[in-house]
This record gives sequence, structure tokens and C-alpha cells, in this order.
Amino acid sequence: MKILIAGAGEVGSHLAKLLSNESQEVTLLDKDVDSLMVIEEKYNLMTAEGNPTSFASLKTAKAGAADLFIAVTTSETDNIVACSMAHKLGARRTVARVDTYEYILPENDEYFQSLGIDQRIYPEYLAAQEIISAMRYPWARNRFEIHDGEIVIVGVKIRENAPVANMKLRDFGSAERSYNISAIKRHHETIIPRGDDTIQPDDILYFSTTADKVDNLINLCGKAVNHIHDVIIMGGNKIAVQVAKEADPDEFSIKIIEKDQQRCEKLTELCPDCQIVKGNGRDIEFLLEEGIDDTDAFIALSNNSEANILACLTVKDYGVKKTIAEVENIQFVTEADNLNVGHVINKKLIASSRIYQLLLDADVASAKCMSLADAEIAEIVVHEKARITRSQVKDLDISHDVTIAGLIRDGKGISVTGNTLVRAGDSVVVFYLNGAMRKVEKLFS
Amino acid sequence: MSISRTKRNSLLNLPMLLRIVGFLLLVESAFMLIPLITTIVYEEHDFWAFLITFAVTLVAGLLLTMVVRPSRSDMGKREGILLTAFTWLSFTIFGMIPYLLSSTPQSFNNAFFETISGFTTTGATVLPTVENLSHGILIWRSLTQWIGGMGIILFTIALLPMLNYSGGIQMFNAEVTGITHERLRPRISQTAKGLWLVYITLTALMCVVLCVGPMGLFDSICHSFSCMATGGFSTRDAGIEAWGGYYNKTVITVFLFLSGTNFTLIYRSTVMRDPRVLFKNETFRTYIGIVVVAFILSFISIGLLNPHYSIAKLTFNSLFHTVSTASGTGHLIEGYDQWGAFAMSVTFVLMFIGACAGSTTGAVKVDRIICLAKNCRNEIKRAVKPNHVLPVRLNGKVLPTSTTNKVVSFTFLFIIVTIAGGLTLTAMGVPLIDSAFSAFSCITNVGFGAGITGYGAGGYEIIPDAGKWVLALLMLIGRLEIFTILALFSPTFWKR
Repeated sequence: MKILIAGAGEVGSHLAKLLSNESQEVTLLDKDVDSLMVIEEKYNLMTAEGNPTSFASLKTAKAGAADLFIAVTTSETDNIVACSMAHKLGARRTVARVDTYEYILPENDEYFQSLGIDQRIYPEYLAAQEIISAMRYPWARNRFEIHDGEIVIVGVKIRENAPVANMKLRDFGSAERSYNISAIKRHHETIIPRGDDTIQPDDILYFSTTADKVDNLINLCGKAVNHIHDVIIMGGNKIAVQVAKEADPDEFSIKIIEKDQQRCEKLTELCPDCQIVKGNGRDIEFLLEEGIDDTDAFIALSNNSEANILACLTVKDYGVKKTIAEVENIQFVTEADNLNVGHVINKKLIASSRIYQLLLDADVASAKCMSLADAEIAEIVVHEKARITRSQVKDLDISHDVTIAGLIRDGKGISVTGNTLVRAGDSVVVFYLNGAMRKVEKLFS
Repeated sequence: MSISRTKRNSLLNLPMLLRIVGFLLLVESAFMLIPLITTIVYEEHDFWAFLITFAVTLVAGLLLTMVVRPSRSDMGKREGILLTAFTWLSFTIFGMIPYLLSSTPQSFNNAFFETISGFTTTGATVLPTVENLSHGILIWRSLTQWIGGMGIILFTIALLPMLNYSGGIQMFNAEVTGITHERLRPRISQTAKGLWLVYITLTALMCVVLCVGPMGLFDSICHSFSCMATGGFSTRDAGIEAWGGYYNKTVITVFLFLSGTNFTLIYRSTVMRDPRVLFKNETFRTYIGIVVVAFILSFISIGLLNPHYSIAKLTFNSLFHTVSTASGTGHLIEGYDQWGAFAMSVTFVLMFIGACAGSTTGAVKVDRIICLAKNCRNEIKRAVKPNHVLPVRLNGKVLPTSTTNKVVSFTFLFIIVTIAGGLTLTAMGVPLIDSAFSAFSCITNVGFGAGITGYGAGGYEIIPDAGKWVLALLMLIGRLEIFTILALFSPTFWKR
């Protein structure tokens, strides 16, 4: 597929990297030669220097022949104009990154369609969605729902006190097991475990299971059943407003802390169901005054990534069960993950993985769902005569970096054991380490 | 949500390197089928030499690809550089086997020199005569040049999806000539395919046109291979003069000129149907300018010293010589020793400049010369008006200072390495002028024989054996544009 990405910022570069590794024909367009040169030297793609809102440079970058045009510059208006121009030149599908909630409302679809913009991505909205999901399932690090939630993959951090800690994989629950441990993230590395691997404290385990059995995992991992109700948000930015808008006021009671008087007044208008408090969220005495020790979740959304990480670490000492930090420096994301911050939100990564999903929805052959650390999860429909259908899973001789996480048969999620026989027409969820894509393809051909 | 963390493993990924070299050797063994078939057609005894070479290369390739199982596939810049150098060396080592086993066996030194001179498209030869060689050896000599001309790695990138990741890109950057590495299409394999398409088409076209003339099919094929690669191996001792007349010279001049142009430009102007890019391109226009000026200068100086030449002979010979030198082919024509010192000086300058980047030629390249000249002009202006903003512009685009710096260092290193090579040769007893010229001729990949400065009979057979290895190294340094090979000698490269 021919993809033209306008804007070589963090989102653009990240996307370009992902897509180029998927053997797509990627061209990256930006005004700044220096950032382009860095990328071109390392990745298999073409770069074009030029203004994304100029017909001349869109033409040199062959916007007309693009199957997908993605505008992710820092300016919302540039993105809209660029998409509209690219559409005019003949781009088949256009995606623009926007910064205004209004623009993603369904009632405005028609207007944007008429401008030639097929899809709008509003990262703040997606971030809010992720925050709410994290508050609903506070015991999980990550949660992916596949095939409308028939198969659920959750990442859980294992503590010293968890029943499964220091156990060998083969030692627990064999026969009626309703879950699989598909992967273990240990330090900076992801491994696909075998029976003789031991679970160590501080591992993040990726369980795959069916929707109705997810709650069984809570006990297994030694997690308490926490229902989050009282939430403090530090920093009243757009994400905070989106969280307030999307959250059900009966489910969550939200308090937003904001330094700026004017912004506070505006927030009372934007989020009528929330309490707005003026003050400095980094001041622990102030937080105590606001009842941080009775709070279930603390969400740090200030524009300073370091402050967010530190604030989360501090409030953990006061008994806050779930902390979520917005970390905008991509380099810090893994570091923050290792620091027990709880949950890390990065708008840019969310935006790029969302665009990535949009793209792969169009490409039925390999409906890749999400990438995580150095492994990927894919949902693949099994064809007639595929190698995987030839014998039971235990006899398939599957390579060490691939595992089958679950399968969906007739719209129902099923856990996979060694005795499962995959049939043509099933949808199989595969978990594999980066670079094992070919082996997966072989299995399904 | 998390992102993949780039682990910088400081150890070189050697298994992956070996595996890729294995794949490349398989490609080389496929190329060896051409001389093998030739020996069958001509019923030559060298059939066995090629059969053994083919088998050895195939087995080595298969062993490396099947047995070596790399645990990780990542390749960084260092692996890219090392692999490029390693590939060229291993191609030479397997490619020299036919010379050793043929019915006209060569010494180890000579076989290595001849092969690397082929792959680097230098065209310097240590064989006193080529007319006693079998057809198989002759076509293999030309074929080595043809493979090396566009690039062994570039060919493989077009074929192997495995090389379409970071490592392959590093190799692409290390092997393709030029200041920047222009891409035609988003995927590197598409770019590689595009370039090879142009290359193969031009070679086939040249072969047909030559065949129509006085040259036979076999000689046409060999000359097309060696000319498109701007290598300069011939099938006769007299070179192109063996057929006389002006037909061959004209055809070869035209095709040599084309192989000196940037292949991406040829692709754009023909396949992408945008002929304007060719003449809008500053490098291409300068290339034409240089060739025209050099032609006029040689025309006048040769004409004055050789009044007995007819106008036609004078025109064709000086044009042929100019293009053959500028493109780094190094075909010599009879009577060059009567042309005088000035014509030779022009030749030296042309050898230094070379042709456009992104072509199959060697030397400094017109692109860099333009950049250097503009930079010097700017410095002179700046001496008078220190506050003026004077960047170097190429094709209307400002070149970043880092690029200009790289060009300046490149040229400096080019000169230093040439001098160092020349000095080493003098230590082996080669006269000063001749050793300097030989080193220069090898690093620019032109391959004029040492005989041009009056040393020996014409070829490189007179150079002592140790000197041949020095020259072989120079050829490789020149072909891979200095930095790739010199980086290997830098302690930084091997530091963790």
C-alpha cells in the first residue's frame, strides 16, 4: 500500500517506522530536512522535503497516487488543509490529526467528508478512553479486547505476595485451565514462556482468556478487588476534560486540580459534574488537604512528564491504589513503566497505534491488533489447508517465539490447550515476538 | 501501552553477517552459470574450472545459509559497513578460483588482483595477453565488472526481502556512490529493481547495437558487460582498436557517456517519463560541460602535435578518449603516447573528477567537485564580505554544512590515500611517477595501465607482488567511496 505521511514529528516518525517495517511503501513529507535525513538513513522509506499544505510539494511527494494520506503535523489546521488538498489530488483515503473535540463528533462527519477528510484522530479523546478503561480494571497493566471482547488479553504485574510468584509454569492448573500465559515481560525483554519457565516477582504476565473468565485472574495474581470511585486529576488539560466528559458521574467522582485561576473557571463550565480545585498538585500538603489518602486513583496530566512520574510515585505512599501518568517524552515511557508508575499514557503512541489499526482494518489478510514492547498480537483467520489445521496444537512444532493465545470459533472465544485442533474458518489470536512474522505466516499458509 | 526499547547490543551480529554473505554467494554462484554455459558452447577445457568454482561457491553459500542460525536479526551501521566490505572480499575470493584452475593458470596474487580489478570496475590487468584465454575466462572477466558496476549488494537487495530492513539500508548507503543516496521509490527493493532495470536494458541495447557492427556476438556481449560497468576489460590485446573503424568507437562512446550519468536520472527521465529532470539537473549539465571542454582541449592539443591525423580520426579519438577517461573506463587507443604532455594532463584531471554520482563510475564525482568549487567560491566571497549568508546550493537546494564538510573530508582523504598508496609502491622499488600514477589509476577505478607513464609494457604485471595487494586495496577503497573501508581501520569502529 502506498502511504504518504505529512509531518515527521514524533507521531509521524513513529508511524513511518511501524509501517515501513510492515513492508508498506511509505513516503514521509516534512519541511525540516534534518529530521527527514535522520529517518531516511535508518528506515526503509522515502522522504520528501516540502510544505504539506503546498500543491507543488504534495505533487512531488505523489499524494495523488497514495492509497492513504496521513496528516500528523503539529498544526490542526495544516492537517485539515493538507488532507483536503491531497484528496483533491487523488489520495484514496485521508486521515487528519485534530485537536478539537467537536471535529470528531458524528454530526460533523458529513462536512469533513465534503472536504475530503475521511477520518479524524483526536489523541486526547483516545487517551481519555484509555484512562477510563484503566480505572475500570485497575489491577491490569494493559487490557486488549479482541473480536469484540471474546478474547481478552491482560497484562498484570506480579508482586512478591502473589500466589503465582516463583512458580513454574507447568506446576499450576493444568486440566481445566481457562487461561494461557502468552508472554512474560521481564525487565526490558519480552519472552514467550515454556513449561519450565519460572514466574519471578516484578514480571508482567500477559494472560489470554475469554471475557467471562477474566475475573478469575484477580485472585490468581494476588490482586485485591478494588473499585475505583474517588479520582483526583492533576492538571486540567484537554485530556482531563475528555475524561470528565466520558466518565459516568455515578461510577467515578472526579476532582480536578489546576493551578491557573482562569482555567479553573473555564473548567467549571466544561466539566459541570466535577469538583474543580485551584492549587498546586505537586504540593503534598495540599493534596492531603484535598484527601489524597482517601482517593482511589490519581491521574497526573500536567505538561511536565517528570513531574507526573514523581507525583504518581509520591501519592502511592499515601495509599492511592491506581496511578496514571501522562508521559509525553517517548524515551521515558519504558522507564516510567519500570518505575511502578502504574499506567503510562502517551498521546503520540496512542495516536499512532490508532492510525495503525485503521490501516490494518482495511487489510484483511493480517488484521494486526496492537504492538506492545517487542511483541505483537495478531488475529488471523485460518484458511483451508493452512499448516496449523493439520494437527493438534501440541504436535504443531511451533517455533519458540510464537504462541497461540486463543481462538474464536463461530463468534465465541475459546481458550487453547495442547489438545486443541484448529479448524479452517477459526479466527486465531497469535502472540509473537518481533521478527517472527515470517514464521507466523508459514503457520497460516 | 509501551514501545519497543532499542537495545544496543555492542557485540557485532556475526551470525547474521555470515548468513547474508551466504545468500550473496548463492547469487554469485548463479552468475557463474554464464561462463559455465559459455565453456559448454565453445567445448572448452575450462568447463571443469568453472564447474568446480560453481560447486564450491554454491556449497559455501548453502552451508552459510543453512547452518548459521542467527539468534537476532538486527543490524546496525557497523554491521552494514563490515558486511559491505566482507561481501566484496568474499566475492573476489570465490571469483578468482577460475583464474587459478583455468588452462592458463595464474598465480594467487595475479588472480586476486585481476578479480578485484574486475569487481571494482577498475579494469587494470596483470595479464600480458588476453588472447590466449578461453572464452569462459574472458566472459567471466567482463561479467565480474558488470556485477561490480551496479553493485553486488544492490542486486541482492532487489531480490532478497531479508535485506529490506535496517541492515540492508546501511549496505545500500555504503555501496551506492554519491554524496546523498537518492531513492526512486519508497521501498529500497523497488529502488534497487529500478536501477537494475535501467542497467540491464542499457546493456542489452548496447549488445544489440554492437552486434550489428563489425563485432561478433561473443565480443559484443563481453564489451557490453565491461563498458556499461565502465570497467574496461576487453577481449583483445589491442582493445577496441582490434576492430578498427569508427562504428564501435561511436557506439561505445555513447554508452560510456550514458553509464557516467546518474542512473536515477535515467530512470526518472525514461521510465517515469519526465525527461526534463535530466537537463534541469545541475550535475548532469556540468558533466556535459566538463566532457565538452576536455574534448576541445584534447582535440586542439592532439591536433597540434599530430598534424597527420585526419579530422575524423582526431575527432573520434579525442572524444572517445575523453569519455572513456571521464567515465573511468580506461580503454586506450593506439597512438596515445604521441599525444603530448598536455593531453595527458587533461586526462589526469578527468580521472580525478570522474562522472556523476549514482552511476557505475569511480573517482571523486562531478557532484562533489561542484560542491567543493562552490564552497571555495563562497569562502573567497566571505573573505571580503564576512556577514553574507552563502550556503552551497546544488540543484537549487541548500546543502547542509555537514554534507559540505563530508565532501571536503572525502576529497582530502582521497588525495591522502592516493599519496600513501603511491609512497608504499616507491618503497617496493617502483619509480616515483609510475607508482603515483598507478595508485591514482587504481583508486579512481580507471585502470589505465602503468605503461601510460612509460613503466613496463602497459599492464600491471611489472608491479611487484606486494604492490599488487596495495593496489587491490586502493581499488576497493575507491569503489566503496573511501569511508566504508577506512572506517574499518578506525579504532572507533571496533570499540564497544
